[in-house]
Parts: sequence; C-alpha cells; structure tokens
Amino acid sequence: MNYAMALDYQNCINCKACEVACKEENGVQLGADKQRIWIGVVEGTIFGKPFANLYPSQCNHCIDAPCVNVCPTNASHFAEGGIVKVYAEKCILCKGCMEACPYDARFVDDTMVAVDKCTFCDHRIGEMGTTACQATCPTKVRTFGDLDDENSDLVKLLKTKRFFFQKEASGTLPKLFYILPDDLAYAKQSVSANTIIHTWEDIKPVYDAARSRRSKEWKR
Amino acid sequence: MKVEISRRRFLQGSVALSVVGGTTLSATNILANAKNKSQNALMKKVPTVCEMCVNKCAAIAQVRNGIVTKLDPNPYFPKSRNMLCARGAAGIHALYDPDRLKYPLIRTGERGDGKYRRATWDEAYAFIEDKLTKILDEEKDNRSCIGYCAGEGMAEHTFKSFMADKFGSANFLNHSSICLQTAVSGFTLTIGGYGQADLENAKYVIMAGANRAEAILTPDTMDLFKRTRGRGTKLVVVDPRFTNTAMHADTYVAIKPGTDLAFVLALTYVALIDQVYNRAYVAKNFVDFDKYKKHIIESEYTPEWAEKITGVSADTICKIAHDFMAAAPQAVYYQGRRTTWSKNDFQLRRAMALFTALGGGIDVKGGIVFGKSLPLGEHTINAPMYAQAKPRIDRDLAAIVGATGTWVGWRNMVAEGKSPYPIRGMFVYKQNPMLSVPNTAKTKQMFEKMDLVVVIDTMPSDTAMMADVILPECTYLEREDPVRMFPGIEPAIVLREKVIEPMYETKPVIEIMHGLAVKLTKPLWEITKKYDDDVKDELEATPEDEFFEDGGFNLAEPFEHTQEELNKHMFVSKHGEEAWTLLREKGVYYPNMMTYFKKINNNTYECYPKDKKFYSVLKLEEKYDPETFLHDTCVNPADIADLKRSFNTPNKKVECYLGSLEAKGVDAMPKWRDEDYVTVPAGKFKFITGRHAQFTQNSTMNNIMLLELMRENYIWINDKEAEKLGIGFGDTVEVTSKVGQVHIKAYPTPKIVPGAVFYIHGFGAKSEGLTFAHRNGASDNEIIEDTIEPVHGCANMHDTLVSLRRV
Ligand code: SF4
Ligand code: SF4
Ligand code: SF4
Ligand code: SF4
Repeated sequence: MNYAMALDYQNCINCKACEVACKEENGVQLGADKQRIWIGVVEGTIFGKPFANLYPSQCNHCIDAPCVNVCPTNASHFAEGGIVKVYAEKCILCKGCMEACPYDARFVDDTMVAVDKCTFCDHRIGEMGTTACQATCPTKVRTFGDLDDENSDLVKLLKTKRFFFQKEASGTLPKLFYILPDDLAYAKQSVSANTIIHTWEDIKPVYDAARSRRSKEWKR
Repeated sequence: MKVEISRRRFLQGSVALSVVGGTTLSATNILANAKNKSQNALMKKVPTVCEMCVNKCAAIAQVRNGIVTKLDPNPYFPKSRNMLCARGAAGIHALYDPDRLKYPLIRTGERGDGKYRRATWDEAYAFIEDKLTKILDEEKDNRSCIGYCAGEGMAEHTFKSFMADKFGSANFLNHSSICLQTAVSGFTLTIGGYGQADLENAKYVIMAGANRAEAILTPDTMDLFKRTRGRGTKLVVVDPRFTNTAMHADTYVAIKPGTDLAFVLALTYVALIDQVYNRAYVAKNFVDFDKYKKHIIESEYTPEWAEKITGVSADTICKIAHDFMAAAPQAVYYQGRRTTWSKNDFQLRRAMALFTALGGGIDVKGGIVFGKSLPLGEHTINAPMYAQAKPRIDRDLAAIVGATGTWVGWRNMVAEGKSPYPIRGMFVYKQNPMLSVPNTAKTKQMFEKMDLVVVIDTMPSDTAMMADVILPECTYLEREDPVRMFPGIEPAIVLREKVIEPMYETKPVIEIMHGLAVKLTKPLWEITKKYDDDVKDELEATPEDEFFEDGGFNLAEPFEHTQEELNKHMFVSKHGEEAWTLLREKGVYYPNMMTYFKKINNNTYECYPKDKKFYSVLKLEEKYDPETFLHDTCVNPADIADLKRSFNTPNKKVECYLGSLEAKGVDAMPKWRDEDYVTVPAGKFKFITGRHAQFTQNSTMNNIMLLELMRENYIWINDKEAEKLGIGFGDTVEVTSKVGQVHIKAYPTPKIVPGAVFYIHGFGAKSEGLTFAHRNGASDNEIIEDTIEPVHGCANMHDTLVSLRRV
C-alpha cells in the first residue's frame, strides 16, 4: 500500500469544511495556526480585475520525507502505506522537522507537547474507506487512495488526467497530486509557466523506484 | 503568478482573518481525543439531519460512550450529495457549547441587562400563565394581542401550530419578509413556482447577487462548482463584490448595487430586438407576450441605457444576452435567496423569471425545474375559533401581506404605537430579531413596550436578553423532529432521529408546547367563556365538557403523542411498515431506494438512475399545484395561497402581465423607476450585506470551531477609496447611517466596486451570555434602515447610505 491523494483543486470554494472535519475527527488543537489542512489562497489583480486561485493543502506524505530524515529521536516516521506520522511521546519539540518541511505542514500541539500533522486519517480509512476531509467536502475536491492499486479510485483518476505537484523542486517526492484542468485556457489561469506537468506514465516509474528504496522503513 | 504558496502567507492574506495563536481546547479534544481513541468504547451511529443552516443535510452521528464525537455525511440523501459543510461538521460544538441555555430563566433585572434567576419548568410556565391571563383578560380575549415569530427549522411548525391554531393569534412573523419572499412570489406568479435550478445540467448560468460558494445551498453549490471553469457550465457572476463564486466565473460583472433590474431589462431588450429568444417556446407557453415585448422596446431599455445605470458596459450586456440564448434552454438566470435588496425586488425577480422563460429553460433538464414530491400523511389539529381574536395588524402595509407578515412593518407599528390594538407580548422561537431585523434600536423599543416576552432557544442570544422568561430548547442532536419530504429532481424523505438524550434541563419544542398548553388550557378557557359571545351562545345549547373538547379548546391535544409516534403515523400511512424500518435505519427514504442507490466511488453516489429523475413534470402531473413546486424549506404555503387568491389568471402559462396586481398599485410588468433607486451622493457609500460559508446568519456565532475560521467581520471598502480616506487594513472605522452607528475593522480591497461597502451578517452580538461571540465585529442590522418594498413589505436590505470615518 502506498497512500496518496489527488486534488481537483478547481472545485474548491474555500468553504473550510475540510478543516473543520479534520479538527473534529482528529481532535486537533484549536488555534488558527494549528492546522493539519488549509486552503492556500493566491489573489490579486490583473489589469485592475480581481482574480483568485485556491490550493487546498495538507501534508504531502512525501516519499523522501525530509521531516523523517532529520528527526533525531525517530518520532517522525513512516507508518503503514508510507503515511508520515509522529510518535508524540518520542517528540522532544526540537522542531527540526518543521524547519525541514517545505510545505509548512507541521505545527506544535501544545496539548500533546509534540509536533502534530495530517495522518491521512489512518485510524478511519479502514472503516470509512476514506479520510474525513474527502468525505465532508461539498464539491469533492479530494480523492484518497492507494498508488499501488491499479483499480483504486485514485489511480483510475490519475491515469486519465495530467497533474502537478507543489514545490516539486524541493525533491521530496510529494504525494498530493493536483489535477490540472483538461481545458488549457483554464489550466493556464492557475499554474505558472514553469510548473512541470506530469502524467501517470512519466511519474509511475519514478515514484515506484523511490517507494522500493524507502518502503523498508515503513511500518507494517 | 506563483503556484506555490505557504500557509503563513495564507494566514496573512486571507479574508478569513483569524486570530493566530489561540490555544483553546476543542471539545472533541477533551471529550474524545481521537489520538487515544480506545477501541472498546461503546460506539453507535445514528442518522440525523443537520440543522446548522436551512439545507437539512443528512448526517450520521458517531456516538462514543454517550458523547457525540463526529458528524459524517449520509450519502443516501440526494439533496445533500454526501457532504457536510464546515457548519455541519461543527454541529458538535452547538451541542457542547458551554454557553447553552441549560434551564428555564426568569428575569430579575431590567429588560436587556441580562439578569436572570434559575427557575423550574413549572415556575416558568406559572409565570407565563400569570401574565398571559392578566393580559388576555384586559384585552377581552383578543388572542392576537400576543405576537409570535419563529426561525426556520424542522420543528418550526410545531411551535406555530400551537400559537396559531391553538392559542389563536393572527400575528405571526417569520424570516420570509427579511429573506426571500419577493423571489419566491416573483417566480411563482410568473412561471408557476420558485423551482430548482438544475445546475447539474445547465450550460449557462447567470448568478446575480447570489453567492453559492459562500451561501451554500444544496444541491446547487455542489453541482455548480464541479462544472465551472471550462467543465460544462459557463458562469456569469454579477455582483458588486468579487466573491468566492465570482472566482469561478467565466465572466465577472461588477455592478452597482440596486441596479440589477436595469441589467435584466436590457438583456431582455437585446433578446427581443435581436430575435434570439426561443420563439417557438414563447408562442406556445407565454401569455401577454406582445404586451411585454412592446413595453420593453418602447421603454427603450437598451444596453446603452443600462450601462449608465449599472456601470456594466453595453457590449458585455449584449454578449451575455446572446450567449445565454445560444445555450438556452439549458440556461438559467439563477433565482437567488435572501433577496429583497431594494424597492424593486419583486419586479427584478419577475424580470429574471421572464428572461429565463424567453430561452425556454423552464421545466426542462438544465433549466429551472419543478421536480416531483412524495406523499406524507397528515395529522389534523382541531383549531378553536375565537370570536374576539382580531386580524393581523400589518395587512395594509403592502399590496399583499401574507401569513408571515412584514417583520419591519409590523415591528414599526408596535414600536411607534401605531397598532390598531395593543400588542402586549411576544413568543419568540429560534429567531433573533435583535440581530436579524433592520434597525436594532427599534426592535429593542418594541420589546420594551411589551408586558410579556417569552424566548425559546438554545443560546442566550441578544433577543433572549429581551425576554421575561427564557425556555431552553435542546439542540437538534437531542431530539426527533417532524419527518420531512424534499421534492425535486430526486425527491426523498428524511428523518432527524434523536442522537443523545437532551442535556441539562432542556426539552424539545414539542414538549415545551405540551407543558405550556397543559398549564394554559383551563385559565384561558375561563377568559374565553367570559368574553366570547359565540362561545357563550354555544354553551347555552351544549354541555361545557363536550363543547370544550369538540371545539378544540383543549390546547394540549395535538402535543400528546411523542414526535416518534407522530412521524410513524405520517409515514407509515403512505409508505408502509417496511419502509419505516428502512427510514429509521438509513435516515432517508424514497421509493426503490435499495435498488436505485449505487456507490460509484468515495466521492460519487447515484441515488436515482439517470432515466428515473424528474426533470420535466408539468405534463405528467394530473393536477398542477404550485405549492408542491415551491422547493423551499422556508416558505409558508399559506403565503402562496394568499398570492394565488390575488392571482386570478392561473392559466398554467408564463405570465407577462399581472393585471390583478395592477389593481393593488403594483406594476403589471417589470419596470425601471428612477425614483425607486437610491443614488449615492459624494462622500457616502451604499451598504450591502451578505453571507459566507462558515456561519449561518447569527445562529452559529458562538461556535468555537467556526470562530476558528473567522473571528470577527471586517468592512470591505474599495482599496482606492480607502486610500483617499486614509483607511488601512485593520484600522477601526466608524460607520454611520440614519439609524445607527458601529465600529468595525477595515479590509480595503479591489474586490468591491467603488461607492459600496460591505460586511458579513451575523456578528456583533451584545449579549454577555455569549462568551465567544460577544462584541466580535459589528451587526449589520444596527445600521440598516427600516424601509420596506411595496409588494410584500419585505425589508430593503441594500438601500442604506452610510458615511465612514477612521477612528
Ligand atoms: S471542503 Fe472542499 S471545497 Fe471546502 S475548502 Fe475544503 S477542499 Fe475546498
Ligand atoms: S509535507 Fe512536510 S511533513 Fe509532510 S511528509 Fe513532506 S516534509 Fe514531511
Ligand atoms: S487526511 Fe485526515 S488528518 Fe489529514 S488533513 Fe484530511 S482530515 Fe486531516
Ligand atoms: S449546508 Fe452545512 S450547515 Fe447547512 S444543513 Fe448542510 S451541512 Fe448543515
């Protein structure tokens, strides 16, 4: 199993249902900077006309997760299916992982006295089939699934679409796949000229290779 | 443009200006820390229906050791499309809100100062009985001297049937006249129903003023935004603000507030002059089309004329009219809700309906559809007749004042002492007129004049602080409510089951009504016997006991069964026992559900197969009754019955000309009147208000989970104008209108047209009982002026001028 998520970010309306569902599901500490999940907003004006784009975001559960690499106590680790998690009791709050993460996906949970982050809802995916953020979303932005399973909703979707990653240059092999609109004109409105566009064929070998390299560390 | 953005940037730049660094614990964190979820806890799952807003999404509550730990969407209900929005997911915090009303309270201080003492239910009922009998004795059994109002909700009818049918007052108010009444009646009188825009199939949608990304409406919101941005629907958003909906638009049209009617009339002009409307459809389905055509053309509602009024270029108008008609009949001028912006609103909605109809997009897939309903049984209430009860006081304030009244007009009559008979008291259920009705000062004045104010609510709202007696209702997760049918393309019946027992000393409204009725029946009967000549006559011929029961004077009689029994009766009589078991298990029922329902994947469920959906129904229905096509959870059918009485040409066609209304001084055809438009003088701004996806009106304002997402409201002001006034981000500004003044922080932005300012409704509570909502930002109705439109007496929400000053 190699868990990942695709995001049809064009559907997002910034309603923040995902954020609330995540907090309720996972008992996340309250506070505006205590988020496992957030909506990136890019807005401005072009020739005096306002525009805005939304990029729903959370931990990328990177295959080459720098947060795991830097952790001195092995509190940050790969759980089953490559999910990146933190053992709260091992965390000494050195915050090295927070520095290392290019996505700013981690924060300090003062109630646990540990770093907290998205867990891909691994406590509920067995029973409920998917994460809280996917289940609750009004416009169904997310598709959670298993990259190893050719028949998963996720792989079926990725095979038919083109997609990109955020901050691909950081080289962490992130697993949030942002689905590019089929229509080029609309695609151009929300990605920059130097964003690398991928397809399942080109990305699969790269991710498979990385997976076999790192999966030895994954818990079972 | 950069794609990669960090969260820090989001925190700085977002409109949701949360306060960083609060460290409150969430209730789920304390109660059911998921990180340590113990596996042997007692788990159960109960189907319920969300009541955090009016949509009624089906949900599944997870209960662990008697504590509600999570609300998940219930995919069986077609209307809610397997989702729960932020508010729905945060429903747990309405249940576990520490500020909830926990037991009955009786006022000990001055009205409004918030001093109350804890009382038993019996004491509270006795207090009400005492006051009420005194008032009714003095008013000689005129039941209408007690007004009552209710917020929308599944149990609204239970409260209403007590007050109207049993107690017998005519003076009912609900949110219609501060919300969507003009839209509902404008569409109903023109095309026969408010209908439902089929956004799953529409190819072209004009959304003017409506903001479906932020004012979530099911299933419209979910259907629309999966199809915007080149994926099936062309979306035109017409709004003075660049909203989250506008963000999805192919064309965003920035319009001056209050000028939408000119915009629609010009679209109509273009469609008629250029002959791009659906001529075959019009010939078959319109009445008085020639009159309308002549009127539009002779009035010269040209795009150039409209450009001067609306600020929208003539070219844009022409293009939209052509594109719309090219996509028609899969083209919709979206009806909208929370309407009544200005005086011409009824005419605006008529013009919108007519424009959609010109393309033929009525009762067809991808247009405005009426769908089908499913039957539910009824239970009858034996309503007594009170000869002394007078008709409602506000009937003459507008052309057609329906059974839900004109909130602003009614309130003003009472506050200003203009009522034909005294209004001595008020029962308020689940509504918060101190924050929801324009001109708060006057609402306060109204309450101050009353001898008895009873508030039934879950939270100590600003209105509760006006009460003599506060009766604590339990939340929607602690009660079973009346079973409910939702008509539509995919009709279904939903049931809200009790998830946990009521906490504290709270009760569901049906029990509150029962307790009150038991207490009041005999003493009120004595008063009726004293003053009611009809009753006196009857009693000469009939034994008292017999007439009392037969005449319906036993007020408690409709509330003697439990809600569950009533539901079973209503449902089983039409669908049988087996379906009842299914409904209780799944929370949802429609015929053939178990064969139709299919999971496609985690995001998509099919409730009805494609060929079983009800798109075009008018020809199928034997008897065409607009009431079943209202589709609105918050419109009183009695209002529509009223409308139908005045609407004497029910010819089942699109009505261009309403002669019957002309007799009442209402334009028979949509007409722009310069004198109705509030122009903005230099130095002033037009104030507009609106909704967003994180709060529902003012009912969720104390919810800590939602306050995470938005702490307070900010006033939007055009960035260039703000610069001229020296107003920067976060500066406090004083906003002054004719009726009030507030202080609020500023959000200068290019996302609003010049000459208008905006802030979100639902903030600025003053009740000290609301720990988290207390004095967050400003309340819109403190500054909105209390003018009404002429057709139904609805509040004009966007006709207020304000001045700004940095303080
Ligand atoms: S729930 Fe869905 S639409 Fe709403 S903010 Fe999250 S991703 Fe966007
Ligand atoms: S996104 Fe950040 S926290 Fe998540 S795995 Fe990658 S580096 Fe670690
Ligand atoms: S997968 Fe679960 S933990 Fe991660 S963001 Fe979504 S809801 Fe939160
Ligand atoms: S839209 Fe949201 S608040 Fe309204 S009923 Fe649905 S889940 Fe509840």
